[in-house]
Amino acid sequence: MPPTDSINELPFPNVAEAAHSAKPSEIEREVIELFDQFRDPLLRYALSFGISVHDAEEVIQEVFLSLFRHLQLRRSRKNLRGWLFRVAHNLALKQLYANQRSYKTTSDRAIAEEHFDPTPNPEEQLSSAQRRHRLLAVVQALPEADQGCLRLRAEGLRYREIAAVLGMSLGAVSISLTRSLGRLIRADGR
Amino acid sequence: MLSEDLHLSDKHLSDQEMLLAADGELSTRRAAQVHSHLAECWACRARMAEIEETIADFARAHRQTLDPQLSPIAGPRALLRAQLAELVSEHKSNSWRRLLHFTSTTRAAAFLCAVVLIATVVGRILVHHSTQPAANSIVDAFERGALPDRRLTPGATRRVAISDVCSMAHEEVDEEVSTSLRQEVFREYGIVNAHPDDYEVDYLIAPGLGGAEDVRNLWPEPYTSRPWNAHVKDDLEERLHEMVCGGQLDLSTAQRDISTDWIAAYKKYFHTDRPLALHSRLESIKLASALM
Repeated sequence: MPPTDSINELPFPNVAEAAHSAKPSEIEREVIELFDQFRDPLLRYALSFGISVHDAEEVIQEVFLSLFRHLQLRRSRKNLRGWLFRVAHNLALKQLYANQRSYKTTSDRAIAEEHFDPTPNPEEQLSSAQRRHRLLAVVQALPEADQGCLRLRAEGLRYREIAAVLGMSLGAVSISLTRSLGRLIRADGR
Repeated sequence: MLSEDLHLSDKHLSDQEMLLAADGELSTRRAAQVHSHLAECWACRARMAEIEETIADFARAHRQTLDPQLSPIAGPRALLRAQLAELVSEHKSNSWRRLLHFTSTTRAAAFLCAVVLIATVVGRILVHHSTQPAANSIVDAFERGALPDRRLTPGATRRVAISDVCSMAHEEVDEEVSTSLRQEVFREYGIVNAHPDDYEVDYLIAPGLGGAEDVRNLWPEPYTSRPWNAHVKDDLEERLHEMVCGGQLDLSTAQRDISTDWIAAYKKYFHTDRPLALHSRLESIKLASALM
């Protein structure tokens, strides 16, 4: 019999459980609050790697479980938004490598399906859909790091945060975004 | 600087300068210069507006494309809540030793106050049970499965630059190993009819540290091995990755240490004799908790 069993038989753990009620801890509450705030942006970001919705949802769960651990270990609370995106980035990338061959990229599929905004009239709809299609096609032709910068920017991250998420220098992020935006502007025929 | 002033007053602003200014990344003085140039220069203002509009357009396109795929948040939130609750209850019911270590913090102090009587009565028993010789024999008993056979799995690396390794930071999850390679590993170790739940085919040198997807770098690690298991090893990999990318350790040393004896490496780099209390996953906490 493994020696662990005798330790488990101690009256201790049960007493401890009873003494400490199941009320959510402050850290749990904080994690849930951050989940409410950042789940959608993080999920969009994970999806933009081209992984399935199911995989992306799992990645996000994993991100917040890691956050819980991070806070519980009293690690740095500086810029938690950047931290969340960084972890999501790494996990989504791993997921992508794991099933790289099984999926066509999400944006490809999304473009093929085309979700229209119901408000504009049909002509406007068509032109705005075409424009979106064109913008996204330009983005997809960009190097991966440039796409990452743009997507993080689209989720409202500042240059400094983007640099930390992607492990790039601030200068590199700024050059990348300047270049990408230049291309988007040109592609838009402005 | 004089040259900077001249540069700004004579020439139009670059896109990059405008973007950095918008993000508050220029020095106060330079930002003020950019600001005053924009106030006077219609062309730069127009360019700035164009850039901002493009960002907004892209952000809109990005959302419109992906938002229809997002499920309502309620389900995932409930799932997370449940997972957190499980994590906490596992943690609490098995974390006496840890709590005793945390007496300096107010939270743990409050908790200890509530149970101080119980703690004083049975504290001695716990201390008795966790003395070093006992812990060591447990460790010895369980370490076997967690270490690979060095003849079969010496470790193998691929040629990588530090920048490649550090641009895709290591996190908790390992890369998936192809089915044919998994089978090869099982064959090599003479494991027949391996159940997928029993073993993880794990990288000895993690891909995030330049490890190769090569049969010499893979071994079947039992999930049941305690307290040293794949999850603990993940923590070590993350730590080594941080150290390598932070310039505190060179990649070849990290690769050598983890492939020679990863448990010894864990002890060395975490300055501990046993796995640290909290690991990335529920599963590892369940496994580790049996020893607490």
